[in-house]
Amino acid sequence: MNPLLPPSPPKLFSHLYVEQKVANHPHTLKIMEKFERSQIILIHHYKEVFNRPNQNFSAQSDSKKLILAHKEGKFLHEGSQYSDGFDIEQFFYASSVMGCLYDCDYCYLQGLYPSANTVLFVNLEDAFAEVLPYLGDKTLVATSYDTDSLAIESLTGQTRLWLEFAATHPNLHLEIRTKSANIKPFKSVTPNGKVTLAWTLSPQRIIDQYEHATPSLEKRLKAAKEACELGWKVRICIDPVIYTDEFELLYTELIDTLFKTIPPEQLHQLTLGSFRLSQSHLRSLKKLRRSDIAFYPYDVRDDMATYPETLESHILEVLLKNATRYLSQTRIRTWQRQS
Amino acid sequence: MNYIVTALDAEARVFIEHYRLKRDTTLPYTVYKGKDTLLLVTGMGKTNAMMALSALLGYRLPGRNDNLINIGICGAPSEYELGEALLIHQLIDKHRRYYPDILYTHTLRETSLICVNSPVESPLSFPVDMESTGVFQAASKFFKLHRMAFVKIVSDHCQPDSVTKEGVVSLMKSHLGTLDSLLSSLQSVAQEHPLFSEEEFKEINLWKSYFTVAQGVQLEDAVCYFRLKDSARPFPFPKMEIPVSKRERSVLLESFIATLTA
Repeated sequence: MNPLLPPSPPKLFSHLYVEQKVANHPHTLKIMEKFERSQIILIHHYKEVFNRPNQNFSAQSDSKKLILAHKEGKFLHEGSQYSDGFDIEQFFYASSVMGCLYDCDYCYLQGLYPSANTVLFVNLEDAFAEVLPYLGDKTLVATSYDTDSLAIESLTGQTRLWLEFAATHPNLHLEIRTKSANIKPFKSVTPNGKVTLAWTLSPQRIIDQYEHATPSLEKRLKAAKEACELGWKVRICIDPVIYTDEFELLYTELIDTLFKTIPPEQLHQLTLGSFRLSQSHLRSLKKLRRSDIAFYPYDVRDDMATYPETLESHILEVLLKNATRYLSQTRIRTWQRQS
Repeated sequence: MNYIVTALDAEARVFIEHYRLKRDTTLPYTVYKGKDTLLLVTGMGKTNAMMALSALLGYRLPGRNDNLINIGICGAPSEYELGEALLIHQLIDKHRRYYPDILYTHTLRETSLICVNSPVESPLSFPVDMESTGVFQAASKFFKLHRMAFVKIVSDHCQPDSVTKEGVVSLMKSHLGTLDSLLSSLQSVAQEHPLFSEEEFKEINLWKSYFTVAQGVQLEDAVCYFRLKDSARPFPFPKMEIPVSKRERSVLLESFIATLTA
């Protein structure tokens, strides 16, 4: 803590909580340089801030703090049944950030963590060491699971480090999923055919209503188009689809806008899937009482909440009908409950 | 309601006058009360602070938008100016650390604070007081972390003998404005409003009583959906007799939920 600093201004990351263990880590020092006007508070362990009882997620969402920490356990976790592993048997997600700058009403993170603050584990070198033993075989690592890593790339530089790591390991496939408009790391690294950049798109009305603090549809499309033009493999995810008034019109228009902006031949794949969540995460989401999305009368079976089967099929049917006007079915992946 | 917590009478005096507070003798602690303010004088030390505040908060449960400010004097290393007001972002008590959430703008210098058991005569790495962690531990059972603030005014550079009652009163007087502006800042953080009015809540509970517990949960989810989807619409509670048969009641519930979630 520097007692000579002026009072904290009202901005993102006005406070940086730094574990003593990583106070001198090169990434910590770089980040602290960028936030020289923020309050720096030394802590023993990130949980003493992140896991405090009686935090208010909604209030914190308007004034997020950053916690810099050392990951002690595993960085790699097995991919979830709610996500597509693209038929690669070794499918993991890497968790080097907890919490997200974006604030989407339907996101499982709201139910997952007791805090809206962001924890950044700076010892990414340990994640790379953990992946190495698997790289004898084809391995997929999703780097943007518990966060939108590109949203904080200018702060962390972690996506760029993953790209550089993947460039030297032929069996490593990366999926970087985002709503960000930041494509800076992709401009300075040679495109790698084993890296898929996946942009999540929603109609602007859904973005305004449910995807708080995220870039507009126009900005996301522009970023995705630019990445395609740079030679990166780009997948567009219209997933999760939120069923709402005028759903058909909104999502049909979205698909039309997508292909007006990005020629189908430039796109690697399109993923379509309606909203789904584990029952336990849905319960936590309900406790926050922030959004109608949490309270829709879902069909809950085998710990998974989805739209009722007929509605889920209808959603996919509508989307597929329009999408196949532009793209062959073989390049469209869909997510539907296996009943 | 704002809860102001001080350790000493001398720290409280100026606020009692400023907010026109009256002594309340309900509890065996020094409590003063006004229209929107409750002031508690805990006595010195963590244990006194924790016991007195727990008693007050147990007696008068705070609402979800109420705020608590612990304000008082502290000793500090010489780089902190005498008379300076500090906003505390970390409370240290031996190996335990506590963190109020500062989600608002303010003009104070922030710092950590060490809570000690007895006055210290040689400076530690941060300012010191004797009550803050007791206040935090009791208050954090009742208040969300962003509804609590700890303000300490530097009374001495770890020379406790130099502190006089008159000096403390004068220091607190010079920071009346600090307290007022901090209270406004705390109030500016997102206020929580219940989803339903009291009448709606009663009506929902009455409807839930007609059904099984599981059906009641479904109904509550549906009314939450309806309200969050559009806060302006009144609830379309069916105007009809509640059927006696379970089967008919279930049909009624199903159609009501379908209306609410359409």
